[in-house]
Amino acid sequence: MILQTFNLSKFFEGLRALDGVSISVPREALTLIIGPNGSGKTTFINTITGFYRADEGRVEYEGRDITNLPPHRVFREGIVRTFQIPRPFKKLTVLENMLMPLNNPGEHIRNAFVKKWVDFESESVEKAYDILEFLNISHLTFEKSETLSGGQLRLLEIGKALMTDAKLIVMDEPLAGVAPALAHEILRKIKELCETGKTFLIVEHRLDIILDYADRVYVMGNGKVIAEGGKEVIEKPEVVEVYLGA
Amino acid sequence: MAFEALISSILLWFGIYSILSLSLNVEYGYGGIPNFGKALAVLVGAFTAGAVVNRILIAMYSIEGTTITQRSGFMKSTVDSIIASNPAYGIGLLVFTLLLAGLIGAVIGALYILPSAKLESDYLAITLLAIAEIMFMISYYNTDLIGGYYGAPVPDVLAFIPGELREWAFVALILFFTLLTYLFLERTLNSPYGRLLRAMREDAVALQFSGKDIMWVRIKTLAFSSAIASMTGVLYSFYAGNVVGIVNLFARVNWTFFPFLMVLLGGMSNNRGVLAGVFSFVVIWRLLDGYKHEIADLLNLPFDVNWLQYIIFGALMIAILYYKPEGLVKEKPIETEPIKELKSKHSEKA
Ligand SMILES: Nc1ncnc2c1ncn2[C@@H]1O[C@H](COP(=O)(O)OP(=O)(O)O)[C@@H](O)[C@H]1O
Ligand SMILES: [Mg+2]
Repeated sequence: MILQTFNLSKFFEGLRALDGVSISVPREALTLIIGPNGSGKTTFINTITGFYRADEGRVEYEGRDITNLPPHRVFREGIVRTFQIPRPFKKLTVLENMLMPLNNPGEHIRNAFVKKWVDFESESVEKAYDILEFLNISHLTFEKSETLSGGQLRLLEIGKALMTDAKLIVMDEPLAGVAPALAHEILRKIKELCETGKTFLIVEHRLDIILDYADRVYVMGNGKVIAEGGKEVIEKPEVVEVYLGA
Repeated sequence: MAFEALISSILLWFGIYSILSLSLNVEYGYGGIPNFGKALAVLVGAFTAGAVVNRILIAMYSIEGTTITQRSGFMKSTVDSIIASNPAYGIGLLVFTLLLAGLIGAVIGALYILPSAKLESDYLAITLLAIAEIMFMISYYNTDLIGGYYGAPVPDVLAFIPGELREWAFVALILFFTLLTYLFLERTLNSPYGRLLRAMREDAVALQFSGKDIMWVRIKTLAFSSAIASMTGVLYSFYAGNVVGIVNLFARVNWTFFPFLMVLLGGMSNNRGVLAGVFSFVVIWRLLDGYKHEIADLLNLPFDVNWLQYIIFGALMIAILYYKPEGLVKEKPIETEPIKELKSKHSEKA
């Protein structure tokens, strides 16, 4: 297991948004989290990536305790995430957005002045362009990201995650608003990446598209894990019930 | 002669305010840090010259006197007469004071931004303003530290230049530092560092999920920009021959509000725009000041003419924010050489 949580809980003024969640994410596979709106999926991601402080429980990554590390430390441990509502750096171009998750030596003032970053930048720029081409948005490379549509912004979020060396990529509804053909292509690519050492933890609503790609599925309801297993779990009565009840 | 004085004062203030506004642009235009206490870094420069270097010189020449103001005055006449026949002494003193101010400015800048660890940007702006105001009150009402409202004379580092040329020599000196600052910042900011600052301005929270330690970026940035602003304080103190131009009750207007106005007027995170903003501002400001009595007679103002510029600049600030928030020169993406290469490669294909 690359990531494990133990009884992870997060409360918002009495609301148990996460209520003792224990999830294990197997290495080099796609783990899917589903559940109705408000069941705590985004809160789970926010809590493991340091956006929220956990009120109870523990998060372990590669056997190390990373509970409540600040976001930049979680990233440096090797976990990158995307946002359900994309958060681009609006006035920056698509390419500049893509370059942000890299640790360019030129981000330090001294290196910036002596130009000890040009080689790194050249490589990064090429890599970014290749990923943008794969995502079919390379024609937007030099556009300000504020001009992108919702679907394009989601692709940019995915692109940023693919720029990093992170071993675990956590995505919050990456496929919302993405055309089915491209969505399948992205998922095929994700499966390919799983074979090259990456692990994906994905929250997604569009089961029709994603379910076949999932190696392991967790179903959440009211802040708890109500079912887990292979893709057949969605047929369990308790899962059907929480979906119909929602 | 009045015309010559007008031109030299425009150039002088253009130089002083360019350095200061370029430094504010690093923090605010690029980094989005609302440093409403900008004047503090300028005060550090005055402090370095008036309180630190003055005391060193007073001790070196065993100068006696009752107050720091008086001792500084005696020391100034001793030191000025040495510099008059020894230019290297004057230049050495200038360089030493600038470096020391840069050092102290960097340390104070780094400490001063620490509250931003906990505060959102609105509260941060007020907090920074409050810190700067307190430091100014202490420096102004405590006459032992740096002379307070009596001021403290500082040496004339260009005392070797004949009196009638001194004004222009200072203009040249300050414009030289302005050019240096501009070239230095252009190079430092057209880089991944400049991009990092802009991303921080756009969304500091999201940036943390790209692995950036925002607090550390802010600390380094404020140290860097405050060092530059402190040097401005030194240059202006040496020009004026006294720290009173900085240690006074108008500091928040002259050394914080005006630079903000110039950055907004020129255009955020765009050094050339900032220079354009500074130049436009300084021309209007010096003309208003130079012809204020004529204007007062003409308009038959029902209030003191000195208020006129505050009213005009206040209105100008609102007008810019309302009608032209992007300023005179629009922000452009940072195009590093590798990005330019990629762009030309793919625009050929298209
Ligand atoms: N910052 C917050 N403050 C208060 N309540 C929140 C906050 N974030 C989420 N919640 C609540 O927690 C519950 C779970 O939300 P969320 O994790 O966004 O659900 P999901 O992503 O599964 O749709 C919801 O009831 C939501 O209103
Ligand atoms: Mg959600």
